[in-house]
Amino acid sequence: MSGPLEAYRRLQEAARPAWEAAVRPKRPLFRVAVATCTRAAGADATLKALREELSRRGAEADVLVVGCPGLCFADPVVDVHLPGLPRVLYGRVSAEQVPRLLDALLGEAKVLPELALGVVLYEEERLEGYRGTAVEGLPDLAQTDWMRLQVRRLMANVGHVGAEEVDHYIARGGYEGLARALTMTPEEVIQEVLQSGLWGRGGAAFPTGRKWDFLRQARGSPKYLICNADEGDPGAFVNRSLMEGDPHLIIEGMLIAAWATGASYGYIYIRDEYPLAVERMRRAVEQARERGLLGEDILGSGLSCDLEVVRGAGSYVCGEETGLISSLEDVRGMPKIRPPYPAQSGVFARPTNVNNVESYANVPLILRHGAAWYASVGSERNKGTKMFSLSGQVQRVGVLEVPLGTPARDVIMVAGGGPPQGRSLKGLQPGGPLSGVAPASRILAEDGLPLEPEPFRDIGMLLGAGGLVVLDDSCCVVDLAVYFQWFAEDESCGRCTTCFAGTRRLLEILQRIAQGRGRPEDLELMRLLPEAMRNANCAHGQAAPTIILSLLDLFPEELQAHVLDRRCPARACPGLVRYQVVAQDEALARAADICPTQAIVKDDGSYHIDQGRCIRCHACKEVAPQAIAVLDAFGD
Amino acid sequence: MGLTSRHASRFTPIDFVEDDTGIAARAQALIADLEPDRAQMLEALHRIQHELGYVPREAVPFLAAKFRTTPAMVWGTMSFYSEIRTRPPPKVEVQWCSGPACLLKGSRHIRLALEAELGCAMNESTPDGLLGLRLVQCDGTCHLAPLVRLDGRYIGPLTVTGAIELARRLKREARGG
Repeated sequence: MSGPLEAYRRLQEAARPAWEAAVRPKRPLFRVAVATCTRAAGADATLKALREELSRRGAEADVLVVGCPGLCFADPVVDVHLPGLPRVLYGRVSAEQVPRLLDALLGEAKVLPELALGVVLYEEERLEGYRGTAVEGLPDLAQTDWMRLQVRRLMANVGHVGAEEVDHYIARGGYEGLARALTMTPEEVIQEVLQSGLWGRGGAAFPTGRKWDFLRQARGSPKYLICNADEGDPGAFVNRSLMEGDPHLIIEGMLIAAWATGASYGYIYIRDEYPLAVERMRRAVEQARERGLLGEDILGSGLSCDLEVVRGAGSYVCGEETGLISSLEDVRGMPKIRPPYPAQSGVFARPTNVNNVESYANVPLILRHGAAWYASVGSERNKGTKMFSLSGQVQRVGVLEVPLGTPARDVIMVAGGGPPQGRSLKGLQPGGPLSGVAPASRILAEDGLPLEPEPFRDIGMLLGAGGLVVLDDSCCVVDLAVYFQWFAEDESCGRCTTCFAGTRRLLEILQRIAQGRGRPEDLELMRLLPEAMRNANCAHGQAAPTIILSLLDLFPEELQAHVLDRRCPARACPGLVRYQVVAQDEALARAADICPTQAIVKDDGSYHIDQGRCIRCHACKEVAPQAIAVLDAFGD
Repeated sequence: MGLTSRHASRFTPIDFVEDDTGIAARAQALIADLEPDRAQMLEALHRIQHELGYVPREAVPFLAAKFRTTPAMVWGTMSFYSEIRTRPPPKVEVQWCSGPACLLKGSRHIRLALEAELGCAMNESTPDGLLGLRLVQCDGTCHLAPLVRLDGRYIGPLTVTGAIELARRLKREARGG
């Protein structure tokens, strides 16, 4: 047995008792998911109530803070492990529900079926022979609609290990991949990563092993690694979920990359909107230092590397690798002109490798289990799993991990439960504001639109970094395009005229169309501008018009209705609708009261809307749905 | 890390300018341990903003000297990032999520209603500086869409009516005394 592995085994032995207590507890163990998403739903209050209530009752129990297991639709979630019984995940456990939950759990019942989502079986439990539902009436969580498509490899620890417990990670086999890598040559490590088929998860889908080889061969020192955690696509939150739930997985991936490439320092650049991820990653970096997993001569291998977390400050283009590099250099975060590529001249003009959070997170699994194991799931062309966040007009919102090539249709309709009741699927926006929108007809086609790069490329779109936003038939794609173009214009760094002026022009055209002032020639202009924008320096300007091409090619009728008929079929564009009183009822008094512009006026005993004052905010329609109608602004 | 300075060529020493508010002196103390060319300017801006609520212009000359660059470069960096404030925040700020999940669930209506009811446009404050509206980016709390954030709390799913009632309550509390 070689040095690094021996050193690792010693580390793992020391870590084991802490994990034993968490996996085979001698007294009730409550895993409370504390992440940005669960906190927003009140997890801090739940945690506080749970601790107070347990101590008030004098109950012998432990509370462990974990990451979000991805079931955001049921937040806040609490996973309960009573000794000798299978674990049960409870959902919507607000602070008010805590006494009731404890009454049931600490009393005779041992279970509270109304809040239970299912029985949780992790591999330890499964290996010990639990099968099916050990608690009467409760489903195996893994068999529920949300979970059954999923293969959780990257997320294997999330919600299971303590979010701030390095020993849990190590006892579960964490850092073994690093120890194995340290017994190999850098070339062998890169070969293993290449064989796994891993490509960059940040959107560009470039083979990770090849990128590493560029840095390995680059001349100059020191060499830097950067972890791109500037997950700027609105609607994407997979990186956040991983950083908050299993931060060491990312650190381990970066260390393996350091060994393979010769890098000696790394930056983890996290967007400003993720303060909890910054906190958890910083703590994890400190813990790794304490265990000798960062610093000099790691596991006795001779590898020396340290990492640092940098907090961004609100800029979408800093998610572009050269924009991120500029940001680290204390100047405006503007993407640079390539070449030179980061591998030749990156941060501080030194050789640099930039990978996405999820790309690094895959690497420890590849080194621990081998490339063949890694490639055993996925599609013919794309291997491994991919994390996705599902949001928008869908019944279940959350984070999932599925094999690459899993049909988008199944993720939306089975895991997500489809659009809200009474609505039908209209489309999918897969990878941020630059990715375009796929129509329902494509998603519901025979292959179900596999989640891998090629099928999206075929329809002029991008799969992107993992944010899936579902649209139903109440949504207007022109309205959505106005939003995406506004976003692209607002976030353009200003370097290229093609980008900052191109997005501005497209936004003006779209806004005109959304206000009923579209011109037939706009349709041609909308084809012309994207041609020019292809010449922008970075992906931001090049891909900003993707949504425009989606409109033209995939939703032509809807666009034409706006331009030629001055009509919004979904009645969502504020400039193309008017609100009108169509019946007099008592709810109108309340509508008049709530109207923020006093546009609902009473004349001779009956209400009507002063169109000059109405801002089309929809409040009156909410309180007086029968009396008020939303009509086309132009026409009858 | 023994790094060579990329910024050395444009390094111009700037004397620290004493301002009558003493703000720069406070900012100076906060960032004493930071260094140039170590990717630490954002950290400096965050620390100052955390303490003062914004990064005052008075801090620019000091930051330039600290990071061995010019005031223009510092101002350029500060103004590039949407989360770095260069003006004091309002006393109460409604943060409106601009994300797609919120948009699909009616956030545009909520924005129109909040702007009308509070009497200020997005990213601005009322003339008395008590109330403000700010556009924020999606942080993946989409299960609560459409939402606003208020003092770190998330309020959602929100209706337009609920948003108007919230704005009215905030106005009463801020001004009614």
